[in-house]
Amino acid sequence: MRATLTRPGLCRVEQIMGTTITLDLADDLPPVTLRELADEVFAWMHEVDARFSTYQPDSEVCRFDRGEVLHSEASADLRYVLETCADLWGATDGFFDAYATGRLDPSGFVKGWAAQVASDRLVAAGAVNHCVNAGGDVRVRGLSPSGEPWRIGIRHPWDAMAACLVLTGTDLAVATSGVYERGRHVLDPRRGTPASGLRSVTVVGTDLGLADAYATAALAMGTPGLNWLARLDDHTHAAITDNARQYHSTNLPLTD
Amino acid sequence: MRRALLAITGLAASTTALVVFKGSPGTSQVAQNLPTAQPVNPSGPGSDPAAAPAAPGTDPAAGPPTPSGSAGPSTSPKPGKTTARPSGTKTTKAPSAPRTTTKAPQSSTRRVTGAPFDAVDDSQTYGFVTVQIVVSGNRIVDAVALSLPSGGESDIHSGDVRTAYDGSGAEVVAKQSANLNTVSGATATSDAYKKSLRSAIEKAF
Repeated sequence: MRATLTRPGLCRVEQIMGTTITLDLADDLPPVTLRELADEVFAWMHEVDARFSTYQPDSEVCRFDRGEVLHSEASADLRYVLETCADLWGATDGFFDAYATGRLDPSGFVKGWAAQVASDRLVAAGAVNHCVNAGGDVRVRGLSPSGEPWRIGIRHPWDAMAACLVLTGTDLAVATSGVYERGRHVLDPRRGTPASGLRSVTVVGTDLGLADAYATAALAMGTPGLNWLARLDDHTHAAITDNARQYHSTNLPLTD
Repeated sequence: MRRALLAITGLAASTTALVVFKGSPGTSQVAQNLPTAQPVNPSGPGSDPAAAPAAPGTDPAAGPPTPSGSAGPSTSPKPGKTTARPSGTKTTKAPSAPRTTTKAPQSSTRRVTGAPFDAVDDSQTYGFVTVQIVVSGNRIVDAVALSLPSGGESDIHSGDVRTAYDGSGAEVVAKQSANLNTVSGATATSDAYKKSLRSAIEKAF
């Protein structure tokens, strides 16, 4: 067994945003404190879901998209997300496009950003050793419950039960975009057709929202996305092509 | 006495049949894809003979249950009995007693696979999801997704990557089995997972 019954901290899993959110608090804090911290994290995730869900017609994103909410009336969070998505559109040569599907859908940034904000708040609250996993986008800080750096597997794109690479670190944002779970849902915004060439892209940095958006953009670029990833400052990457070849930065934080 | 023995043997046989019947969906071919690092083993009758010699021979009343112990995993519905033993027999045979208590939870674990459910998102179907649960006694100790939607993407092949790329490249993607804290991957659809998980739980209990 990986985790023994005597491990410090708390682990909690909830289904939010149509996916699985896992919080692993590794700090040896009083149980009451740990529960309160976890409550705050999941309350924030529910708040993000209610505000940014593209599946709930009464979410702020949907109301904004229908023109029922003006930019000046929008919440600070929505305005921040819209501005960052606009910046990302420029930074990714237009391949990260919150309007790629014809309507506003900032999900490619929001999930990672929400987990990043949760992680930042945990650090501010003194819980400096934790892991937040929002549907496969991972933010780790400090040490794992075993007292060692966190070990993050990158899912094998053809085998859900296996990892193809293992990363180790104490301060990493790891985001993966792939076509193996929901089919070719990422569109090439220039052609309006499903992206092809890459099966899975992982971007590693320190901001999970950016890493998530960069991974989505590279997946939309297809094979040319590899060279774009290689030019990306302050980030490392791993990518797997449709013909099962694996490419990664030479300085990717791989486990020895 | 003989009637009691028959009754006990009958009970053992029926519980064995029940456990085998209920456990059988969990031992389908998909279970073989699991990595070797799995913490629990599927319940097998091979571990049960070890539980049989648990009776240290000091108590003659422990005689009749012995044949039921060797008959199969019938010890699983009575975990209280095995845990009570080591405290009761503080004799020279003590080393054998703790061994039975450590093996008892293993012999009662079983795997139950839920029905496959379509993963649907925006009215598009991407394949199906199958969830398997590992049950120890009456507790679920693990849940894994055995199959996940692929969408047949492996038929599409990309061209070769241009030589301008300066990273490490073109290795054939391999599998790594390692002790992991978490996994980064593409977002899974959770609705089909929940449905299959529910069906596995309904089968198991």
